[in-house]
This record gives sequence, C-alpha cells and structure tokens, in this order.
Amino acid sequence: MAFRVLIVDDSSVMRAFIRRIILLSGMESAEFLEAGNGREALDLLRKEWVDVVLTDINMPAMDGEQLVRCLEADELLKSVPVVIVSTDGTESRIQQMLTLGARGYVKKPFMPETLREELERVLGGAYA
Amino acid sequence: MPDHQWNEMLAEASSEVLETMFFTGVMGAAQPDPADTWPRLTARLSFDGQPSGVLTLRVSEPAARALAANFLASEGDELPSATQLGGVACELANMVCGSLLSRLGSQNHFRLTSPELVSPDAGPPPEPPDQSLDLGDGVIDLWLRVDQHAV
Repeated sequence: MAFRVLIVDDSSVMRAFIRRIILLSGMESAEFLEAGNGREALDLLRKEWVDVVLTDINMPAMDGEQLVRCLEADELLKSVPVVIVSTDGTESRIQQMLTLGARGYVKKPFMPETLREELERVLGGAYA
Repeated sequence: MPDHQWNEMLAEASSEVLETMFFTGVMGAAQPDPADTWPRLTARLSFDGQPSGVLTLRVSEPAARALAANFLASEGDELPSATQLGGVACELANMVCGSLLSRLGSQNHFRLTSPELVSPDAGPPPEPPDQSLDLGDGVIDLWLRVDQHAV
C-alpha cells in the first residue's frame, strides 16, 4: 500500500539519505514530500495529505519542536503522526518531544532497519 | 572531564557515525603526510549546554568524495557536486557532535548551531587536531574545544 512521507530537514543531503534508506529498506511504495524547515512543512501540510512526518529538530525559521507544537494545536493536522529524526539523543529531549506529541524518536546516527521499524510501528502493518 | 576522555569519546562518536551512516570504517590514526596536498573541506558548529563548546571537522577531498558517494549512493560516474560535498561534511560534523554529546548522559539537552563550512582562507584551528582518522580514501581531522568552566 502506498504511503506519503514528509521529510523535514534543513540539510538536503540528509533528506536524500532518508529517502534512500526508506526505499532501500523495502518500502518501495513510499512517496516523498520535502521541506527545509517547520514553516515550509506547515505550508505543505495545509495543502497536501501525508501519512507521516519525519522531522529534524534543529532547523532555521521554525524548528522541529515548534512544528510539533503547531501540529498538536491544529485540529485538522494533529492526527498526522510525527517521528523525530535528530542528532540530539539526550533522554530529556526525547521525553520532551514525546510529551509534546511526537509519536516516535530516531536518534542519528541510526541503522537503516531502525528507521524502518519506527515507520512500521507508527504507520501500522498495512504499509509495510 | 580530562582531555583524554573527551578524545576517547570523540573517536568513538566518529567511528559510530562513519560506520552507521557512511558505511565507512576507520583504519586507524592518520599519520602526518607532507606529500598529501589535497584540498580540505572544513565544517564547524558550536553547542550550547552543560558543557558548551565548538567542534571543527576537516576532511580531505578524496575522503569527502568517498563519504558523499556512500551517503548519497552515487553511481560510479556520477560525481557528487561541490554543494553536496559541503552538505555531507556539515552533516558529518553535526552527527559526530550529536553522538559525542549523547555519550555524556546529561539530563539537560543541548542546543546545536547549524554546521557551516569554513572558508579555506580562514583555515583550521592553529593547534594540532584532537583526532586524525585514516579512512583509507583520505583523512578526517577533528578539533574539540570544550568550555571546561561549565563541566
């Protein structure tokens, strides 16, 4: 079953890497949208439906924490699951983001199967 | 924390990132090679928290090309662009810094600046690198400056 992923990261090479890892991990039916920061992501999400958002935290203009807060405050968008993909692996940050509403957290660096497992967990088996 | 512990953690963090995300092993400590005149790319970012500091990463051009090819899965005849090489150097610095700080087991989180490429004219820090890693295809040098007052 096809699913749509919005990748939010200010690094274009990291967006390309995540795209590649998802496709290589057997989820060939994935379709991708990309944004360079939280503000661009919000603009996209108001026009396009996605099944999951993968977002970095540390970004200019609007960071991942602000993006999660905005999504949680939006009745239409709060059901879109968000998975954080970040170099910040401190326990306090992970707990903070999960408490704010993120459904998952992947610490960079990560093994390809870690990202796949987190996507499967958040999306449910129908997309695997 | 003593400098040698920081250096050990820096080496561990670098190896983890290179192996996991760039599919590249570290062959050992790089030896100074006066014949190595390849251009270098230098990326730098600072972190704010307890402690605060600056991480600088310098990668030789052959190593940057090999890392970019692995990271982006470039085909043999498809050379990474200069922009991609810079992006890969910055992302490598970002992940090494994040992995290093995660090892501190701190209860507080850190604020990292976005990594930036340093102009070749600015040059690397004047002191010798804290880590110099041989990747086979080239060398990565790392400098870590930690604000010890905050440790």
